[in-house]
Amino acid sequence: MTRRSARSRAHPSAHRRLGALAASLALVCYAAVTGAPSAAAAYATIEGTGSTWSELIVQQWIADVDANGMKVVYTGGGSTKGRKDFSQNSTDFAISEIPYQGTDESGQADTSNGRAFAYLPIVAGGTAFTYQLKVGNELVRNLRLSGETLAKIFTSKITSWSDPAITADNNGRQFPDKDIIPVYRSDGSGTTAQFTTWLDKSYPSIWRPFFGRSGLTSYYPPGGNRVGQSGSDQVMNTISGFAGDGMIGYVEYSYPVNKNYPVVKVLNRAGYYVEPTQYNVAVALTKARINMDKSNPDTYLTQVLDGVYSNADPRAYPVSSYSYMVIPTGASDPRMTTAKRQTLADFLYYSLCGGQTKAGPYGYSPLPLNLVQAGFDQIAQLKKADAAVDLTDRDVRSCNNPTFDGTNPAKNVLAQKAPAPPACDKQGEGPCGSDTGNNDPTGGDSGGNTGGATDPGTGASGGSGGPDGGGTDVGDLGAPGGDAPQVDPETGLTVGGTGTPTTSGGAIYANPTLVADRPADARTFGWVAAVELLALVLLPGLVVAALRRRRREGVA
Amino acid sequence: MSTTLPAYDPAGADLVAPRALSRRARGADAVFVHSARLVGASVLVITGGVAIFLGWQAFPTLQRYGWSFFTESQWQPEADVIGIAAVVVGTFAVATVAMTIAFPLALTTALYISEYAPARIKPTLVSLVDLMAAVPSVIYGLWAYILIMPYAAEFAVWMDRNFGWIPIFAVRGGDADSAIPLLSRYSFSAFCAGIAVAMMVMPMACAVMRQVFSQTPPGEREAALALGATRWGVIRAVVLPFGRGGIIGGTMLGLGRALGETIAVALILAPAFDVKFRVLEQGGGTVSALIANRFGDASPTQLSALLAAGLVLFLITLVINTLAAVVVNRSRSGAGVEA
Repeated sequence: MTRRSARSRAHPSAHRRLGALAASLALVCYAAVTGAPSAAAAYATIEGTGSTWSELIVQQWIADVDANGMKVVYTGGGSTKGRKDFSQNSTDFAISEIPYQGTDESGQADTSNGRAFAYLPIVAGGTAFTYQLKVGNELVRNLRLSGETLAKIFTSKITSWSDPAITADNNGRQFPDKDIIPVYRSDGSGTTAQFTTWLDKSYPSIWRPFFGRSGLTSYYPPGGNRVGQSGSDQVMNTISGFAGDGMIGYVEYSYPVNKNYPVVKVLNRAGYYVEPTQYNVAVALTKARINMDKSNPDTYLTQVLDGVYSNADPRAYPVSSYSYMVIPTGASDPRMTTAKRQTLADFLYYSLCGGQTKAGPYGYSPLPLNLVQAGFDQIAQLKKADAAVDLTDRDVRSCNNPTFDGTNPAKNVLAQKAPAPPACDKQGEGPCGSDTGNNDPTGGDSGGNTGGATDPGTGASGGSGGPDGGGTDVGDLGAPGGDAPQVDPETGLTVGGTGTPTTSGGAIYANPTLVADRPADARTFGWVAAVELLALVLLPGLVVAALRRRRREGVA
Repeated sequence: MSTTLPAYDPAGADLVAPRALSRRARGADAVFVHSARLVGASVLVITGGVAIFLGWQAFPTLQRYGWSFFTESQWQPEADVIGIAAVVVGTFAVATVAMTIAFPLALTTALYISEYAPARIKPTLVSLVDLMAAVPSVIYGLWAYILIMPYAAEFAVWMDRNFGWIPIFAVRGGDADSAIPLLSRYSFSAFCAGIAVAMMVMPMACAVMRQVFSQTPPGEREAALALGATRWGVIRAVVLPFGRGGIIGGTMLGLGRALGETIAVALILAPAFDVKFRVLEQGGGTVSALIANRFGDASPTQLSALLAAGLVLFLITLVINTLAAVVVNRSRSGAGVEA
């Protein structure tokens, strides 16, 4: 417990230090780049709207470049609004999770209205499922769910936290019989689009009958006891708010990380429940198919995520995706000037290079270098549109990108050094007692049992006895263990082996039963309280009046 | 002796003919009169322009969906299903809650200020109430969202537990009698939104009522006192009957504002599109909140649909304000009050 709080306390300062380091590094880089006098370009304020999925990291980048004189204004509002504002020439850039759909769900035009544009990926991340579920008065922080259970929850097929499917996902740990209240985005949202794409591709038999047709939607269908909220921040605030007990919703991982709120560990194809940390997202996205056909600017660099959803790596987080910026590339674009193009180019240069080092700490995942390279090609279109834009020395070689290993730009170092999920996160094991939503890359396994990934067989047999979390560092006791029972150093009790799997070390969870209070009592006391309140208000006045009357009678 | 009347002398008649009087303004007066008339007419032009614009924009939607636009409850442009039944009901639900809270508050505040408050603090109280009207509505929205809603939800649970047998206080799936009621079913409701709106319409209604009460004829007031009436007796016998028009007019004006209140409602109310009268239950929608929420990412046809909803709201508000004006003008006290 103390360890946990110490860790979470140490975390933000580490972020800040890292952030400061990155900022100073970027500053040095930038100073070196802009050494040439010609590069002291005039900047102009650029404005953009769009995704709230990627808003947190974008706002951080904006704060970072502000010191260099670049003024960037970004307001969320949802990907749909971003695409629409861009098509109406009311913004200089847009950020969206999904490309222009051509025609949207209802046959409405969803195009750029003829405005020339290019997509470029700016950051990767996982769409996390954050929730508030209290057992007793304790917030559950280690919920695990399979994709199918999630799909059924959001289509109102599973409506109680004590549903057998949820119990099975948590290896027999039963939650109280509370209603599940799914929270969805009520505005046109790229997060909804990503989530429903995943539902449509992975669980068509659940999603399509519910939705009435196939495919993605930016507007989640209302109904049931679902609660709609607009914007990722509102969704997050509602779930973490006073009335959030029993709620579950989908937002980018950075929102729960920012609030230190738990997220669901989602079951992947390899049978592990994983959290959307930067590593797990990076691993998952190694299977993303990026359209590299430059001939068609409408689809160039857009993502096809089928491989991501079915990625068989035990570390992969299934609901991972990229977010895109839409930049205007037309030479005669009505809104753009040389100064604006220069600002946009330099802002993007910082975002794709130095800015990516911040992606991890903020709950996103940095882009691999080949996508950064492709992004630079797109930035070059700004110069093509306007020769006065200065792009000298702004290329990938000077890029400080955490995914780059120096040899193969298509490789993502993060994906290689991603820690394997702890054995207690395997299907049928655990659950791990450790917290989620704190951006811990190891998946919270303090013992560091890495056997699970390389050899799931031994990991499974050892893991069941492995006490984890719970404060003391006893995790490695469980690693080599076979079926022999072990003694828990804290309690002195025999744990693990082939015995009951649910009593392994760490936290012990009771299955509470809620006893309804007696409504008759509550009603009586309610009336008593009301009478008392009335008396409290009236008595002083009555006493004063009585005193005055007595005094008057005394005088008379 | 006979009296002789002076003979009528037609010759001098033209000398005493009445002076030709012209009521037509000349010079500077004419300029003033015409410009004043122009300004006055511009109000009509603007109001009419709004109506024409809304009607023109809404026409394609009304043509396409016909009557189902008024009877359908769902608003799902992506599924080509659009209707305002739910949001119109929601608009009235929020306004009703708001007026239920604001009316007694406004009436008693106005009575206290005009009848009971010591002369020294009267101006302060008046300006404080006016200050309430000056607070931006988003502030009230945040205030209700962050500070009030947790308590409002608790209150809603209590209401459901004790008065759940009255249909409008029932909450589906709220589980009020359990140890831990589902608070989420009791928040983000029309009731919570109504509290915020009540705070906004209260000062408006209060100002109208106070003004009317202060115009009570002093003669009648003194007559009642002379007959031995207490202060409360004066209020009951003279002030309230005299001010009835103002009370109704002020309330209707407040109602008009409550129907159109946008941002606080959009903040608090979780969008849901079912026709429901259960004001304590989570979710709902009003016409103005719908427009505010959906305007940003609307395609041209969706925009037309939103403007059609706006037209309906415009007409409802127009009818209510006109009724208020009629009521106020027909009452004794109405002469001094503009609705």
